[in-house]
Amino acid sequence: MRAAVRHEEPRGDDDLLVRIAAGSQSALSELIARHGRGLRMFATRYLGNAGDAEDVVQEVFVTVWKQAGRFDPAKGRASTWLYRITANRCIDQRRRRALRSFIGLDDIRDEVASPEADAEATTAARQELAIVRDGLSRLPERQRMAVLLRAVGDLDIAAIAEVMGSSIGSAEQLLVRGRRALRDHLAMAAVGRERKSS
Amino acid sequence: MTRDEFERNRRRFGDTVEAWPAPFRQQALALMAEERNDDPDAALDRLVLEAALTDGDDQELASKVLARIEAGSAGPSFLARLLLSPAGFAACAAAALVAATLAGYQVARLQDDPSDTELLALASGSSPADSGVVADDPAGEGSL
Repeated sequence: MRAAVRHEEPRGDDDLLVRIAAGSQSALSELIARHGRGLRMFATRYLGNAGDAEDVVQEVFVTVWKQAGRFDPAKGRASTWLYRITANRCIDQRRRRALRSFIGLDDIRDEVASPEADAEATTAARQELAIVRDGLSRLPERQRMAVLLRAVGDLDIAAIAEVMGSSIGSAEQLLVRGRRALRDHLAMAAVGRERKSS
Repeated sequence: MTRDEFERNRRRFGDTVEAWPAPFRQQALALMAEERNDDPDAALDRLVLEAALTDGDDQELASKVLARIEAGSAGPSFLARLLLSPAGFAACAAAALVAATLAGYQVARLQDDPSDTELLALASGSSPADSGVVADDPAGEGSL
């Protein structure tokens, strides 16, 4: 199974964390250059809100700055640690949103900036991506997290389980169900498009 | 990822694609795997990755993070974070409710004490004065 294949961890991340723990801001900038994009993509698609995701990722790197000394490379990969912090911050952010919505402070809406929304309709490939985004937003939260950790974070099942605080079996089930639901969503959308065109 | 982008990233991260950070690694592997038939899960993962791509400036992110660090705050204050988190909000609300209840009991007790004592004295048939309540002496009952 491809998901079980473990990629070789670049030792660069560990070295960067050691330098960050020693107070090197340039090492932090380098870590952000390596992982900022992936973490932002994960948070944006998980939260469905680009502004919240940006805030979460900033918090993650501030936490890394403060706690880099606590990272133990013997216990796991640096990328797994980063995604774990991000996943926890995302869950907190979602709860805050839900609470604020409950007490009427704000409106819970999925807002991801998509400047190409009109252009997306122009090609089939872009339509497919829009359908995938829609499918992702409809997945149950934990399935969505597992699918994104796999596809965006490139984490294997063991790392996904570690990030989500679940067993390997549960993480695998979440991933399998999430992928199945996405495929069903894509298939239904394809059927709908065929009916429309015929 | 285009071939040009692949080459740019190779100069940036080195020749070993497996050592590149995510999501550059998957995009490079996807580019290399385009010609060959992959398993459907890998194809779906590539589709999800492509769908998740967002624009963003890493340098801007780094400068914002460093500004936060310089400012010495990772976000709102402890009290604000406590109030914003569901558990913290619930704990504060519960503490406020308990405090209000205790305060209510305390005020009520202070108000009700004298009358309770008088009622107790009346029930036991003794004079309120016996119970420590200083009563007036109507009609000179205390004098001969």
